[in-house]
Amino acid sequence: MPELSYREAVRDALTQAMRRDDDVFVMGEDIAEMGGSMGVTQGMLAEFGPERIRNTPISEIALAGAAVGAAMQGMRPVAEIMYEDFLTIATEQIVNQAAKHRYMSGGQLTVPVVFRTQGGAGWSPGAQHAQQLESWFVHIPGLKVVFASTPEDVRGLLWSSIYDDNPVVFFEHRTLYGLKEEVPEEIEPIPLGRARVHREGEDVTVIATGRLVHEALAAAAEAEKEGVSVEVVDPRTLQPLDENALVSSVKKTNRCVVAHEAVVRGGFGAEVAAVIQYQAFDWLDAPIERVGARFCPMPFAPVMEEWVVPHANDVLEAVYRTVGRGN
Amino acid sequence: MATEIKLPRLGQGMESGTIVKWLKSEGDKVEKGEPLYELDTDKVTQEVEADASGVLLRIAVAEGEVPVGRTIAVIGEQGEEVAEEAKAEDRPEEEGSPGPAREAERERGRAASTNGSQTESAPAERSLDTGAARLKASPLARRIARERGIDLASISGTGPEGRVVAEDVERAAAAPASAAAPAPAAAGEVEARPLTSIRRTIARRLTQAWTIPVFQLTISVDMTRTNELVTKLRAANPDVRITVSDVLAKLSAAALMKHRDVNVQYTEEAILVFPSANIGIAVAAPQGLVVPVISACERRTIPEIAIARVDVVERARAAKLQAADMEGGTFTISNLGMYGVEQFIAVLNPPQAAILAVGTTEDRIVAVDGAPAVRPMLTLTLTCDHRAVDGATGAEFLATLKASLEEPGLAL
Repeated sequence: MPELSYREAVRDALTQAMRRDDDVFVMGEDIAEMGGSMGVTQGMLAEFGPERIRNTPISEIALAGAAVGAAMQGMRPVAEIMYEDFLTIATEQIVNQAAKHRYMSGGQLTVPVVFRTQGGAGWSPGAQHAQQLESWFVHIPGLKVVFASTPEDVRGLLWSSIYDDNPVVFFEHRTLYGLKEEVPEEIEPIPLGRARVHREGEDVTVIATGRLVHEALAAAAEAEKEGVSVEVVDPRTLQPLDENALVSSVKKTNRCVVAHEAVVRGGFGAEVAAVIQYQAFDWLDAPIERVGARFCPMPFAPVMEEWVVPHANDVLEAVYRTVGRGN
Repeated sequence: MATEIKLPRLGQGMESGTIVKWLKSEGDKVEKGEPLYELDTDKVTQEVEADASGVLLRIAVAEGEVPVGRTIAVIGEQGEEVAEEAKAEDRPEEEGSPGPAREAERERGRAASTNGSQTESAPAERSLDTGAARLKASPLARRIARERGIDLASISGTGPEGRVVAEDVERAAAAPASAAAPAPAAAGEVEARPLTSIRRTIARRLTQAWTIPVFQLTISVDMTRTNELVTKLRAANPDVRITVSDVLAKLSAAALMKHRDVNVQYTEEAILVFPSANIGIAVAAPQGLVVPVISACERRTIPEIAIARVDVVERARAAKLQAADMEGGTFTISNLGMYGVEQFIAVLNPPQAAILAVGTTEDRIVAVDGAPAVRPMLTLTLTCDHRAVDGATGAEFLATLKASLEEPGLAL
């Protein structure tokens, strides 16, 4: 089995889809010669040429709109939004156009576009380049939202996103690009809407996304030493959400922690907590704990950034609170 | 507003306690933190402090065994009406809140294992709305209590903020109904003394200890140098009552640190090896044998050990030990030397793997350099859990202890 980094896994999915299918193409800022600001599309220009690896002007609304138009015309564009912070500029096209046309045309149109983007703290990019805005898009009917946490997942999920006939906002995490793991020789598409149980446990379920999946796994290893058995589940697709997997896990453990890097207030974890409390109310033995960033713009100073975003110890403390060992 | 005083859970595994006597009478003023009553548990008899200030309006349970979480008294304002409340929890009440349709829907979602036997008249937590704080219970705990017909109000919560969690309900469900004290036998001159909690615990634990495969090792020690050391320590620390027991605790701890394989506990999965020598001191208290623990004796000086020992022994004799005083021991010393006992075999104090039985120090004629000499001799007998400790391991520990008692400097 080949070993791929998260970055290479994204590139592999794009490359293989483009080799297989002429309708697939990539567009974005500095993605051609430069290979993207995160190096994801490096080398692809040489193989596919400037028609299919298209540099765009520095206008997210323009490139998103062009991608939506191409999708409505039957292409399967993958538009890269350099930082998810810049989704704010493309939001008109994503929310008001991409998400709506299939519905408003009575199904005559589909918009099979993928908006790939990345973000996250951990390398001091400052307040305008480190946000985690996935929950904004979960709120929009007509969009699918993916947040992958491992190389294998990001490859299989991107493949499914490209071939989904609906617009998908596809979140990658900046600090995961270097993460390596062995992946199957052939891409195995991962259906959108299926969670992954990373680790089984008995006492507490941690539902985590993105970078926090790895922090949760570290916390689980630590908790195990103290005799607390933690199950770690990554929904992977935030919309549609694999509610059954999450609820059945919590029905088994009776305790739940939700964890993401985005701020707690209005974060995706709030939605998960609502789903769990409604469907597993009579199974809950402790309040659902939420782990996320503190409610403030991301500081530039590394020590402050470190303090604002959650880490394994924050997950661990939340886990201990659910089993009554907290302070 | 009146506060219901409930029987607290003072340690893990405590299911009930026996109220020995009240230190306040109904109508007395009570300050929060003041001793309120004496409680006898399977570990200790101790005074329990009031957790509210006011007037002791009512004593609901004057004496006898009470399950954890049961209301035993009410503290409130002078003249407040309480008679109803103190009884409220015993009164089952129809649960009115969930509409029938909703309840049916919920029931469909529940595991089939409930056998369909719903008791709709589940004793309700709602009966507590008169004055007492709202009962906190997790949804899961409420469901289990509902399904098994357990009165949540009778359960003391161990979760955050005293919340009743599922484990508390499970424990309550597993506990047998509180046993009434056996009636005294009327026949002849035999006096039947009801078992106290502590006596029951002694019986249970020592019976359990009897099932463990053990062996004993006996060794005699020349106490000349240790006695000299005690004399010097007393001179140097006139305020502290230093005894041979303290030197024994210190040197045992040092020997345990050298032979860590004795400072262990056997479990089904693993041998637990402890980093510190927490030495239990068997104390004959009026209510029965108790074993308070002096933690980390390897890090304490002999005078420090003496201070700690005097403290716990005095409190043991006054029946004022707390449950925490008796937790965490890794090795026990039982000393009957003061009664002139020459040597004896101590029964293991599970889960600890070893216990040292200390006899009296007496002048005996021993051979020294080929000639008879009179020396103060002490006989030590070590009982070991053979599942965790082998004979040679125990013997090496004992040899080290003997050598350091005969020349305390060796323990440095």
